[in-house]
Amino acid sequence: MTATAARLVVLLPAVAAVLGLLVARRIDPRAARLVATVGSLATVIVALVEVIGVHSTGPVRALQVAPALDAGELRIPLLLQATTAPALIALVVAVVGWAVQAFAGWYLRDDDRYGTFAATVSLFTAGMLLTVQSADLVLTLVGWEVMGWCSYLLIGHWSRKESARRAALKAFLVTRLADVGFVLGVVILAAGPGSTAYREVVGFWGGTAGCADAGACAAPSGTLRTVAMALLVIGVLGKSGMVPFHDWLPDAMEGPTPASALIHAATMVAAGTFVLAQLFDVLVAADGARWLLAVSTAVTMVYAAVLAFGQSDLKRLLAYSTLSQVALMLSALAVAPADEGPGAGVLHLYSHAFFKALLFLAIGWLSIAVGSTAAARMQGGLRGHLFIRPAMFVGLLALAGVPPLVGFVSKEYVLSAAEAGASEGGRGWLVLLAGIVTVPLTAAYCMRAWLVLDHVGSADVTRHDSDSAGVPVRTAVTVLTVLSVVGGVVVFTPLLDLETHFGWLLALVSLLLVVGAGLAVRTVPVDDQPDPATRLFGSARMALFDKGFGVDRLYVTLVARPVLKLADLVTFLDREVVDAYVRGTAVTAYWAGKGGNRAHQRERAASGLAWVVAGVVAVALAGVALW
Amino acid sequence: MILVSLVLPAAVAVWLLSAGRVVSHKWDNRITVTATVLTLAAVIVAVITRPEVDRPWVPALGLRWHLAVDGISAPLLLLTAILGVGVVVHSMDRQPSGGTPGAFHACLLLVEFGALATFYARDAVLFFVAFEVVLVPMWVLISRFGDPHDRRQRADAAGRFVLYTVFGSTLMLLGILALVVKAGTADLDVLARAAGHGIPVGTQVLIAALLVAGLAVKVPVFPLHTWLPPAHTTAPTAGSVLLAAVLLKMGTYGLVRLPLATVPDGFQRVAPYLAVLGAVSIIWGGLACLAERDLKRLIAYSSVAHMGFVVIGIASGTQTGLQAALFANVAHGVISALLFVVVGGLKDRWGGTDLRTARAAVREVAPRLGFALVVGLAASLGLPGLAGFWGEFLAVYAAWSPADDRPLALFRTIAVVAALGTVLAAAYALRVARVVWAGERREPLIEDSRDSEWDVASVLVLATLVLGVLPGPLLALTSGSVAALVGGGP
Repeated sequence: MTATAARLVVLLPAVAAVLGLLVARRIDPRAARLVATVGSLATVIVALVEVIGVHSTGPVRALQVAPALDAGELRIPLLLQATTAPALIALVVAVVGWAVQAFAGWYLRDDDRYGTFAATVSLFTAGMLLTVQSADLVLTLVGWEVMGWCSYLLIGHWSRKESARRAALKAFLVTRLADVGFVLGVVILAAGPGSTAYREVVGFWGGTAGCADAGACAAPSGTLRTVAMALLVIGVLGKSGMVPFHDWLPDAMEGPTPASALIHAATMVAAGTFVLAQLFDVLVAADGARWLLAVSTAVTMVYAAVLAFGQSDLKRLLAYSTLSQVALMLSALAVAPADEGPGAGVLHLYSHAFFKALLFLAIGWLSIAVGSTAAARMQGGLRGHLFIRPAMFVGLLALAGVPPLVGFVSKEYVLSAAEAGASEGGRGWLVLLAGIVTVPLTAAYCMRAWLVLDHVGSADVTRHDSDSAGVPVRTAVTVLTVLSVVGGVVVFTPLLDLETHFGWLLALVSLLLVVGAGLAVRTVPVDDQPDPATRLFGSARMALFDKGFGVDRLYVTLVARPVLKLADLVTFLDREVVDAYVRGTAVTAYWAGKGGNRAHQRERAASGLAWVVAGVVAVALAGVALW
Repeated sequence: MILVSLVLPAAVAVWLLSAGRVVSHKWDNRITVTATVLTLAAVIVAVITRPEVDRPWVPALGLRWHLAVDGISAPLLLLTAILGVGVVVHSMDRQPSGGTPGAFHACLLLVEFGALATFYARDAVLFFVAFEVVLVPMWVLISRFGDPHDRRQRADAAGRFVLYTVFGSTLMLLGILALVVKAGTADLDVLARAAGHGIPVGTQVLIAALLVAGLAVKVPVFPLHTWLPPAHTTAPTAGSVLLAAVLLKMGTYGLVRLPLATVPDGFQRVAPYLAVLGAVSIIWGGLACLAERDLKRLIAYSSVAHMGFVVIGIASGTQTGLQAALFANVAHGVISALLFVVVGGLKDRWGGTDLRTARAAVREVAPRLGFALVVGLAASLGLPGLAGFWGEFLAVYAAWSPADDRPLALFRTIAVVAALGTVLAAAYALRVARVVWAGERREPLIEDSRDSEWDVASVLVLATLVLGVLPGPLLALTSGSVAALVGGGP
């Protein structure tokens, strides 16, 4: 049962995507909506069955999806797994996928390309579920890239807008560049044991434990392992939007809000955490890769939190908060000691999925009412809406890390992991420090968002009168709200293998920081200016924040321009050098022919005859000589 | 069955050229469709039953009329036969300009005949003859039925195509003759079994170098690729499809059949150079695509980049590499056919393919064509789940862990370069998508794809998808012969 459920969890959304595409071109969106909703609900149910199966009949570690591929020396067994962590995360992804579909059906009700959008979301979910449940590097790569492509389509959904086209292109190219690292990492890891199955890869590269064949466990080159994992980490950094690849993610806000909810909450951006968690035994042994991961995440964590505070668009604020939070979950993998395992990172992935999806859906819902996501337009928007206001409240509290919400629990586990890692060296200290700086910053921008959205002075209750959101939307938001509140109890259940501890002292410190930062921000605004950021920085400096400190320009000058220059050079060389030889041959042959012809015409008959005789003699002599 | 699948297209072609000149386009097309479908059926039977034909041809020279099917040629035979049907169906509603319909269809059939014969051939000289048969009908297709706008350009492209590839063939012929003289037989099976035993290494290197140089023109490998863009750009859609999907494959197939199989020791010395040129092709083609202003030329340059992966796979000397090469071969055949059908269709509608001209976004005005285009582009950038991925991924893997007798550091560098090439592929594919597919302009309005064009395009989209999702059957089809060829594996 577990095995079937695990296969279906991937298959169902994929089938929903194909069916959705087939009905996408109908004028009536109901068929597309039906396929999307039923498909995503069925996926949730099957994922639930899988979780139950894993805990009642035991995990299935290797599960064939298709006959193994016959690729010469390389074995590609195409395995899935249904074990504790994948089953739980698959359920989370399925739930978020369903919430997004339910919401999109209403949010994009007047969009002429809703059908395509819904099908792409289904495919996206399928890609993530494949990555989560994969026990084979190639399947991981397949899911990984499918997500990348779907993100391109979703971000560029409104392709009539130039800004959306550019954002989609940027997102795909930046992540694809980083994916070179991922592909090479996969290739190197697979080249060791000659197989792409996780078990053999981990057995070969990660210590001697769990090694089936003693001969294959001869210590592999440590440098090569570090290189492979560092490359893999680069791929993860790209997809997760860590520094220096981070700038694609805020631009991706050009996509419709449901797409942002999906990309940010449970899928693509967070996928790297899970992939690295699966390969944790190898990662632990690759110190250089862990340093790379730690430095990048520590920088991103703080930097993105600062940028989030100054955004004049609240959707972009959420985008930067995603960067900061994903950095937090990845940092757990960079520092957690080998005996604590990757549990803390996975736990934060789990909790972030709920509250970030909630926040995005709430802000999307609100934006329909107020007509924009700009902070200035959204002022006081929450007032008078009985549904979005509590949802947003819970979401922001969870993001800020207030107990006992789910965000608090997982964040504390991450910080505890960093504390434990700090005893092993500087890397742990770096992450711990960055984490402690990030905690009050997060609280500060959450408080700012709340102050703006809940400002009494600019409330206009009539804006919500025409709210047409139906039962599916309300159900989705309610479910996510409830899960954001009580999701933290998962640590007391066997649903997740947490081998790490909980640092009470650290939790107290961070709680004080959260409260302090919140209160400090609370004092900033005055009556006519509810936005603390505008009051602190002024709108001129906010523009700098909105541009992400000009990193986009850096991408263009450092990468895009030189490559295009090189392309021009290649075109020139191709025409003027490589092809010149070809044309030169033709010209030479032509003139030689012409010259020969002219010389021939000028000859008198007698001398021509003489040449023929000379030739005959020469041939005869050659014949005699060679005989 | 082999003979049926060869005689049928040839006979119909001859009839079309002689008696068929008076028949209308519609009837020409129907007859040709029937012929190609029957040929396809015969090829399928041949692939399943694996018959062998072996008759003396020129006994004085020891040449034999030796034809057979094995795992290496089977996928290419199927590809050729299927696309043979495809291009003819595609021309159903398109009266060719520049000549009689009979001649046009006859040329298509003759190209198919030549390609099938090349893939069947088990005699080195017969292989060469079949290889050359394709040139003349292709020349006619380009110079007579090509782009009606510019006569000089047609003549240049066609002339360049023929002279360039004949030059390559001459080198190959020298190689074949040297090989046949040294080994004392022209039978490719015998040659492959002997694997170069009894030929001194120096001679093997010379033979391998000649063969590789000759075939590299056809593949094409940098810097011998400049015939390709004009030929593709000028040829009619059916011609471009056959060029990209079938003719280029004859080059890579030849690389596997001749130097790799018959003089492995010599090929081993040449392989590193070939792999480097393959890597250069990937980067060079990719960069050229970024700056190219003509859509059809852009797709042509992307072929150069994709064939680079195939060449790297062949040069790596491992089973994985060879599997990668054979898979990428077929995948590129399908993908480039799809792209040329779409782009050729756009050219007909737009009247040109200059990317700088502002036009209606294809996604807005022609959703079907847009869908096919996006699938083609996604496959071309190597998206998993579509055909392009497996060959390229396995080629990178093979370059990272090549055979023991290859220089490891060099091949690993090549692996990195090839992987970087995939970013260039993404960049140019998305550049096309951004310029052609997405946008807000809705005029000038163009007609969406329908009837025969859409039939062909949707079959190719489906093939791209199937190869991407289920690569197993194709890999299994080739694995036996690959293991026999490279040997030593598990």
